[in-house]
Amino acid sequence: MAGVAPIQMDTFKLGFIGAGKMAESIAKGVVHSGIMPASRICTAPRSSGRCDVFESFGVKIFQSNRQVVEDSDVVVFSVKPQVVEGVVLELRPQLTKKKLLVSVAAGVKLKDLQEWAGHTRFIRVMPNTPAAVGKAATVMSLGKSATEEDGELIANLFGAIGKIWKADEKYFDAVTGLSGSGPAYIFLAIEALADGGVAAGLPRELAQNLASQTVLGAAEMSISTGKHPGQLKDNVASPGGTTIAGIHELEKGGFRGILINAVVAAAKRSEDLSAN
Amino acid sequence: MAGVAPIQMDTFKLGFIGAGKMAESIAKGVVHSGIMPASRICTAPRSSGRCDVFESFGVKIFQSNRQVVEDSDVVVFSVKPQVAVEGVVLELRPQLTKKKLLVSVAAGVKLKDLQEWAGHTRFIRVMPNTPAAVGKAATVMSLGKSATEEDGELVANLFGAIGKIWKADEKYFDAVTGLSGSGPAYIFLAIEALADGGVAAGLPRELAQNLASQTVLGAAEMSISTGKHPGQLKDNVASPGGTTIAGIHELEKGGFRGILINAVVAAAKRSKDLSAN
Repeated sequence: MAGVAPIQMDTFKLGFIGAGKMAESIAKGVVHSGIMPASRICTAPRSSGRCDVFESFGVKIFQSNRQVVEDSDVVVFSVKPQVVEGVVLELRPQLTKKKLLVSVAAGVKLKDLQEWAGHTRFIRVMPNTPAAVGKAATVMSLGKSATEEDGELIANLFGAIGKIWKADEKYFDAVTGLSGSGPAYIFLAIEALADGGVAAGLPRELAQNLASQTVLGAAEMSISTGKHPGQLKDNVASPGGTTIAGIHELEKGGFRGILINAVVAAAKRSEDLSAN
Repeated sequence: MAGVAPIQMDTFKLGFIGAGKMAESIAKGVVHSGIMPASRICTAPRSSGRCDVFESFGVKIFQSNRQVVEDSDVVVFSVKPQVAVEGVVLELRPQLTKKKLLVSVAAGVKLKDLQEWAGHTRFIRVMPNTPAAVGKAATVMSLGKSATEEDGELVANLFGAIGKIWKADEKYFDAVTGLSGSGPAYIFLAIEALADGGVAAGLPRELAQNLASQTVLGAAEMSISTGKHPGQLKDNVASPGGTTIAGIHELEKGGFRGILINAVVAAAKRSKDLSAN
């Protein structure tokens, strides 16, 4: 695209506006996976505690967001959604088209981000909480002037903290309802599985350990095998066995329908919130 | 314990009686994690196809189970179906000396019976689950009367190569079956439902399926890594009036958690009924 200078993959500098948990997760993930050295990452935390956290793994500390932007080729806005507008407007003079801008703010649309920044080389990214443990489910949407290569760069960065897929921005409310809020549904499931184990006679600690590990293993099977979940279920439900007895209870209770309800309700809530 | 020779951690040989998926998962996991070289592992598959599979990563192939036992210090009984275990153990009894540590992964087969068939009590009963195939098993083991602490550590090491393992009293095994044994299936249903929910909310199927699996993985990893109570983890992500609490509300309205408890309890009961026969 005319006028948009490609970001140099080997040497680009990454800056975080907002030095919270998300910035920390991404920076740590990127450094630990060897994608880039911490010396090419910078941020301007507002407290000495947060400075210590970032300094502890080699990230450069600046005094102001303005310095962060000036020093960076890729700028990630990882401040809370409520303050994104103010922060982007304030930094607008430094946000040239040479810089690739990224927002991880939930519910904040590309249309608005691009308006505040004054250009359209923006990528909107929706990670989820497990970014903190390097297992995020992330979706990104490219702004008008963000190039294919820009998209690959971001995919690379977020690949360090989990998996990432590209999607049209119109899907973001649904994504919120599923991967955004989904971890909470699974926390409830883990608690219930553990309770089930205790109901069946297990000590709590063993039940809790088995519950978490069982969920992890099942998810890993789904991802690694690429098989349809229904096929995976068929493969493990032997005739008259324990598994089909358990499944029968789930089906009796409408387990799956309730989960669908949850995703749909959360997606709707996301839509309602962004309409305001 | 008097008379029980410790197995040498650095040099012991591992044999599998039954060369199916579970043996393959354990052998592969053990070799790939560097715990022991494939050359110290052996089995006697009944088909050339299975021979190829094991040979492909360096496991030694014998013609008979008897040779496998004679060559091994640790013998894992991984035959199917469970009803075949008795016959196999009885047949190999003369070779199953107390010098050998015996391990069974047969679901529903009790230590009492295993030890009776083998003629000694240096047996460890192990209950892994299906995700052993992807190195993420949830495994529980119970030590027989003559299995030593070190024997337990050795087996914990082996099964640590394909996931996580905990020790428990054998009386818990029916409940374990209902939870970690059958649990993966409950989660497959959950993944399907989450994907359907995504599609209902407008997502293309492929994206919904990918997000569903990865979301479940991430949540489980958070539970394991942080060690926090699931209720606390839920609190941490449910912001005021947000999307997450709206979703949770639906789950609570539907009695989501109670239904999962029902599933675990029913499966545990079925396990108990099956082993009573």
